[in-house]
Amino acid sequence: MASMGTPAVVMDNGTGLTKLGFAGNDSPSFVFPTAISTLSASSSKSSGNNAKSTGSFLSSKRGLEDLDFFIGNEALAAANGPNYNLSYPIRHGQIENWDHMERFWESSIFKYLRCEPEDHYFLLTEPPLNPPENRESVAEIMFESFNCAGLYIAVQAVLALAASWTSSKVSDRSLTGTVIDSGDGVTHVIPVAEGYVIGGAIKNIPLAGRDITLFIQSFLRDRGELDTSLQTAEKIKQQFCYVCPDIVKEFNKFDQYPQEKFAQYMVEYADKNRSKTVVDVGYERFLAPEIFFNPEICSSDFLTPLPTVVDQVIQASPIDVRKKLYKNIVLSGGSTMFKDFDRRLQRDLKTLVKERIELSERLSGGVKSSGVDVQVISHSRQRNAVWFGGSLLAQTSEFKSYSYTKQQYDEEGPNLVRNFSLFK
Amino acid sequence: MLQIEQTNLLIQTTLTDKIFPEKDAKGYKSIDRIISDFDFTTYHISTLGEEKHLLLISIYLKCWDDLESYGVVKYLQDKYVQFEEALTILPSGDVENNYNYSFVLDLAKLEGQSDEYKQSVIDSLALLKRNCMAAPLEKAFARYDELAQQYANSNTYAEEIQAELQSEKVLVINYRGIDESIYIKPSFDRVTVIFSTIFQDETDKIFGKVFLQEFVDARKRSVQTAPQVLYSHKEPPLDIAHVVKSNNNTDADNKGYITFVLFPRHLVRGDKRENCITHIQVFRNYFHYHIKCSKAYMHSRMRFRVKEFLKILNRAKPENIDNDGSRIENRKTASGRRFAQ
Repeated sequence: MASMGTPAVVMDNGTGLTKLGFAGNDSPSFVFPTAISTLSASSSKSSGNNAKSTGSFLSSKRGLEDLDFFIGNEALAAANGPNYNLSYPIRHGQIENWDHMERFWESSIFKYLRCEPEDHYFLLTEPPLNPPENRESVAEIMFESFNCAGLYIAVQAVLALAASWTSSKVSDRSLTGTVIDSGDGVTHVIPVAEGYVIGGAIKNIPLAGRDITLFIQSFLRDRGELDTSLQTAEKIKQQFCYVCPDIVKEFNKFDQYPQEKFAQYMVEYADKNRSKTVVDVGYERFLAPEIFFNPEICSSDFLTPLPTVVDQVIQASPIDVRKKLYKNIVLSGGSTMFKDFDRRLQRDLKTLVKERIELSERLSGGVKSSGVDVQVISHSRQRNAVWFGGSLLAQTSEFKSYSYTKQQYDEEGPNLVRNFSLFK
Repeated sequence: MLQIEQTNLLIQTTLTDKIFPEKDAKGYKSIDRIISDFDFTTYHISTLGEEKHLLLISIYLKCWDDLESYGVVKYLQDKYVQFEEALTILPSGDVENNYNYSFVLDLAKLEGQSDEYKQSVIDSLALLKRNCMAAPLEKAFARYDELAQQYANSNTYAEEIQAELQSEKVLVINYRGIDESIYIKPSFDRVTVIFSTIFQDETDKIFGKVFLQEFVDARKRSVQTAPQVLYSHKEPPLDIAHVVKSNNNTDADNKGYITFVLFPRHLVRGDKRENCITHIQVFRNYFHYHIKCSKAYMHSRMRFRVKEFLKILNRAKPENIDNDGSRIENRKTASGRRFAQ
C-alpha cells in the first residue's frame, strides 16, 4: 500500500498540551496548548449581511467562518484580540467539544504536520476509562473526515510504560506496572497488567502542576515580592524546585547555609527597556513539591500523601500482579520532573510496605516473607513520556498490523474500535 | 486557514532553534529528526556524527527520477548557491541512503553572518520541496518563452505550425506514483498544466465534483483574471492523450483530469511567475484539504441538527390522559388531595 513508507503520525492530545510528531523521532515536533480560538458569534454577524444572517443558515453558507480559526499558541494570541473566543475542547482528559476537536485536528494535520492523512497511519491516545462511544467518535472523524490510512488508539498509561523501556533500570520489557501520571490539572495513579488497565483500582489526586504553581505564587505574595505573576511562579517551579528527604532537616540547612540555599530569580520581560526585577526564592524550593507527600500544607480537603495512594492502588489490584506493580512504578508528565522525586517516593513506599510485611509476619507467627521489591523508575523522556512511548510503538514493524485500517472501517463501521487491540 | 502554506513549518522551527539558539545554550546539541511533507515527501535533519555543528539535511521525493530528467539538480544548485559559505550541496554520490538530495549546513560558519542572512537560509530551506517541484514548471515556462519568441511574427493558425505545436513534448511528473501525475505542456501563447487525480473514497468523489464545478464557475462569476479551469472525467484531454499510459489499471474509472490553462499574464517573469509556480503545485493538497474541511463543516452542522432534534424530542412528553380523556393530574385522591406534579 501507498502508506507503507511514510512515518506514522503520533498525536497525544492532553487537557493542557498537545504533543504532535512523527514516529521514530525522539521528541515531539510540536508541543502547544490544546486550545482553539474561533470567530465569536457577534463579530461574524456584523461582518456578514447584518440583516438576514441571523435567521437563516443559507445566507451564511457562502462564508468561510468555519475556516477562520487558530489553534495552539496562535489561538492564545488571537484570543487577546476582540473577535475570537478561546476554548479548550478537552476537559479532564476527555474530548468535550467534537466540532472544535475536528477542526483542531484539521489544522494540526495540514498546517503543522503537513501530511496527507490518506498516506499516513495515526496513533492517538486516550485517557484510562474512556467510554467506547468516545473511541467511536474519534474513529468516525479520523476515517470519515480525514480518510486516514490506519488508526490505533492507545491508552496513555500503557504508552508511558512503553516509554520507560529506555531506562537502564528496566530489565524486561513488560507492560505491567503502576503509572503515576501528573500533568497540569490532575494526577492519576494507574495500575496496568499485561497492557490492560485495571480500571477499578485507578485513583486520582486533585493536586498537580497548577496547584504547585499557585502554591509558589502564594509564597511570593506573602513575602511581597515585586513580581508575583503566574509566569514567574511557573519559571521558579521549573528551575529551582526539588524534593528533599526531610523537611525539618532542610529547614535547618536553609538556616545554616543561607548563601547556598536561597536563590534569586531574574525576571526577564519581552520588553527590553523595562528594568529587570529580582525575585527571591526561599523555602518554596522544597516546600512546593512537598505537597505531593504532605498535602495538608496546601490543601484542606485532600490529605492522603502520594506514596499512600500508590500503596492503596496496588493493594486494590489483583493479588497476583501486586509484586510486579510494586517493582515497576513509572513516572510520567511534567509535574514528576522534580529532582529526587523518584527517590523520595521509593523510600516512603518502601517504609509503608515494610511496615505491612512486619505486621503480617508478626500476626502469622514467625512465617518469613520473601520480601517485596519496590522500584520507582525515572527516565530522561519523562516529560513527554506518553508521546515518546507512542513514537516507540508506532515505529515498530508490527504497528501496522495492530492498527485498524480504512478498509476494515468501511467494512464494519465505527463498532470496530470497541475492540481493544493490544500491543505485545 | 484558507491557503496551505508553502513553507514547511517544522523545518522552519527546527532550523530556527538551531541557528538562533537561546542565549545561555552551550555548544551544539545533536539532533536526529524525520519530517514529512505532502505527497510522500520525507526530510531527515541530523547532525553529522561527532561534528555537531554540521547539519545534514536530506529530502526524499517520490517523483525524483522524473524531476531529475527535467533538471532539478541544476535548478537547486542555482537556488542555493547564494548561501555557499555555509551550505554545501553534496554530490550525488554522497547523498544519504534512501534520500534523493542532501545538504550540509555548517552552523559554525553561519554564526558570523547577519541575522537577515541567517533568516534567508532558513526560509529558503523551508521551501525545499517547493523548489524541487518548481524545476519542471520552470523548464516548461522557459520553453514557452522560446516558443513565444519563435512564433511572434508568424501566422499561428497555419496548419504546419499547429501540427508542430501539437507535437510539443509533454513533461510528466508522477508525483504520487503512476496514478496521479502532473502533465505540463508549453505552447507559444499558454502553458497547460493538467493534474490527474483519483479519489479513494466515494464521498470524496462527490465533494470533489462539486468543488471542481466551483472552480470552473469562479471564472465566470468574478475572477476574470484566473486561469481557465477545465475538468474531465475518465477521458484524458486530447493534449495528453498520447502520453497517458494505456488504461489497463482498474482505477481508470475513478480518474479525473483537471486542466489549468496559464496565459501570458500569469507567466510574466519575476514575482508573478514564481507565485504561479508556488500556487499551482500545491493544488492537489489544497483541493483535498478543502474537501476534508467541508466534511468537517458538514459534521458540525449535523451535530448541531441532532442536538436541536434531541431538544424537541425531550420536550415531547406523552400527555397524561386516561381512557376517558380527562387529564390525570386533575384526579383527586379519596381525601381530596391532588397528585404531585
